[in-house]
Amino acid sequence: MIYESTLYKVLRYVILVLACVFVLIPLIPLVFMAFKTGAEYSATSVLTPPSNFFNFYNFSYAIRVGKLGKAFLNTAIILVISLFFQIVFTSMVAYVLHRFDFVGRKVVKTLFTLTMFIPVVATQTLIFRMMYAAKLINTMWSVVLLYSGVGIVGIYIMLNQLDTISKEIDEAAWIDGAGFFYTFFRIIFPLMRPACTTLLIINGIGLYNDFYIPNLYLNSDVQTFTVALYKFYGSMSTPFEIVSAAIIIGMIPIIIIFLFLQKYIYNGLAAGSVKM
Amino acid sequence: MNKKIFSAVACTAIVASLFSACGNTGSSGSGSGTVSNDAPAQSEADNSATALSGGVYKSIQDLDTESLKGKTITLYTHGGNRVLGEEKKDENGNTYRDESYAYLKHLAEQFEKDYGIHVDLQVNSTEDDIRPLLQTADPGIDIYTSPNWTVEEWQQYAEPYALLSELTPLYGDYAATMYNDGTYVYALMPAKTYNNAVVYNEETIKSVGYDSIPTTQAEFENLCQALRDAGIDPIAMHRVENWPLSTMRDFANYVAGSNDAFPSMLKSDTPFSESHPMGKTIRMYTDWKSRGFFEADTYTDFGVAMDVVGNGKAGMMLFGAWVVPQIQGRCPEGTDPSVIKFAPAPDFGKGQYVMAAAADSYFISKGSDDKEAARLFIEYISESPQYLADSGYIAMKKGVTPVVPELYKIIDDAVEAGTCKVLYNYATDDNSINNEAVLSEANLLADEKYAGNLFDSLDVTKDPDWSAYDAQVDKQNKAYVEAREDLGVSWK
Repeated sequence: MIYESTLYKVLRYVILVLACVFVLIPLIPLVFMAFKTGAEYSATSVLTPPSNFFNFYNFSYAIRVGKLGKAFLNTAIILVISLFFQIVFTSMVAYVLHRFDFVGRKVVKTLFTLTMFIPVVATQTLIFRMMYAAKLINTMWSVVLLYSGVGIVGIYIMLNQLDTISKEIDEAAWIDGAGFFYTFFRIIFPLMRPACTTLLIINGIGLYNDFYIPNLYLNSDVQTFTVALYKFYGSMSTPFEIVSAAIIIGMIPIIIIFLFLQKYIYNGLAAGSVKM
Repeated sequence: MNKKIFSAVACTAIVASLFSACGNTGSSGSGSGTVSNDAPAQSEADNSATALSGGVYKSIQDLDTESLKGKTITLYTHGGNRVLGEEKKDENGNTYRDESYAYLKHLAEQFEKDYGIHVDLQVNSTEDDIRPLLQTADPGIDIYTSPNWTVEEWQQYAEPYALLSELTPLYGDYAATMYNDGTYVYALMPAKTYNNAVVYNEETIKSVGYDSIPTTQAEFENLCQALRDAGIDPIAMHRVENWPLSTMRDFANYVAGSNDAFPSMLKSDTPFSESHPMGKTIRMYTDWKSRGFFEADTYTDFGVAMDVVGNGKAGMMLFGAWVVPQIQGRCPEGTDPSVIKFAPAPDFGKGQYVMAAAADSYFISKGSDDKEAARLFIEYISESPQYLADSGYIAMKKGVTPVVPELYKIIDDAVEAGTCKVLYNYATDDNSINNEAVLSEANLLADEKYAGNLFDSLDVTKDPDWSAYDAQVDKQNKAYVEAREDLGVSWK
């Protein structure tokens, strides 16, 4: 057992409490603002509690005027399709890179790694023009296509998972007459479920929060939640009490997902930290 | 299925994935920014200006309105209040949009009844939101209410609306103040207005013993001091953003008694010193700051700045006529909106002046598939004096009877009495273009840094030390002269 001095214990708690305070303090004015009237917001400090914590006007206004329901639906459609293809593509790529020895394997792996060093913004002019030429601007499919790509982090998570799955399982399947697709989709892919869940959660949250791509490619008819939120910002004025309510609404799905899947999230983050 | 087919499918997936990965923002988060500004619009659109010959302008009578029936055009605007309604507070203090103020929406509905063309109104928060669409000449934008662009940007994104010579008979001297390159006007500005002057809450200044805005600088400063002493912010500037600093350009004209204070910086080796109207104006604003004449608090956005004038927590603003209807719309329930008034700036030594200019600009995007329908709507606007008046402007097209909003009365009376003179906005010419180029080269143009750097150099949280301000003046003068020499330009 590791001996901890009293000073160390105190210091540890002080640091943890401070860390919590730093994280939670910005949320306090957010919650306060969401329940304030517009007049209250203008007249009081952001740290002053609202006069009525049961004032849900801002929430209903945000949903009604900001069309958040439609935005959530659009976001859900985009996420489901994108994550499906992303997970399938990522697992396939990882499987090939892990199990098969072919010419150029290292080159392919290096190319994937290189994409990590290309800023998203740097390629957008070209990609925007390609999407425009393909007539995909202002359709969900532009965002779905971009989101369906394979990232190197996902590949490494999958590769780590494949390290734990014996190659003998593949060979046994082949001996029994299974083809490569059958072996992959019916035998190996189900065994990669923990890695898939990790990728689903990490990338799902990332895509849910993404603003840049949807704002660039989608108009108001197919906007996602983050873009709908942004539409509350005016060139001259912004009703921040309503924006705060909309932000809290947007946090609810993420909190629910976190509460139900936190075990997988922690496991997934740990899986990502294993050797690459 | 054999191994080769599986490999081929897998490789296809890999290649597709590599392509898509460039835009993948999943676990690695997302970047920020916009598509680069220098990407050209499509070549066909680029050539449209050069292909023009003869007249460009078409009136409603020149357009085949029957053939345009059933079309839909899209108008983007940053003026959300005219589409969604003014942001107001109900009796419980909750925010809502009062659609009776959605003048552009109402006008578009009437236009559809009259001509059978639907106008899809889209509100954008910033110009950056739609920049990529303009760069690709996307047909999704037909009309945009125009921003302050450079001549190059106008040429790149906007369809030439008319020859300057075609609009002069219709709009008089104001035609030259519309966005133009000397030959083509790129955005029609169908109304006239008075630019930056004093927008004030009459009830608030009455509470400290003043019935109107004083006509001399000394008295004006006494008013500001009286408001400050009463615990009221004298002037709501909204310094947290940079664009309000641009009001200094008009005030520099009032200080100079001419309309060329800004371009005439080219003539001077010390444009930021008090010897030049621009430098003198910036120093005057900074002096007001040191005396507490601007807001003590930071407003989270311009809406709050307008609210505090509307509810009397601040006395005035130094902005144009456009802000008056918006503040009136934000006055608290039970308050008479007409307490918000518009008056000339005081005499800063050369007399009282007010800047007049064309206002409310609309341009047709080069990518528009329905340029004729877009033009018809813009011409319709130019012949809708009530809409323009509701927006705070005065229709000025020849043959259109204007509706003059009440807000102009004080200034118009002063002009008629001869106590206030009208200066027209300086037309775009080599001097104005070169001055902006020099400021840009000296890294002083963007975000109004030429004024902001000086204004911010004075720290008023402690006993103001003007030596830091003077050092900044010297630094900017030097940078300006060096940039002017590097570019090899001078006053013409």
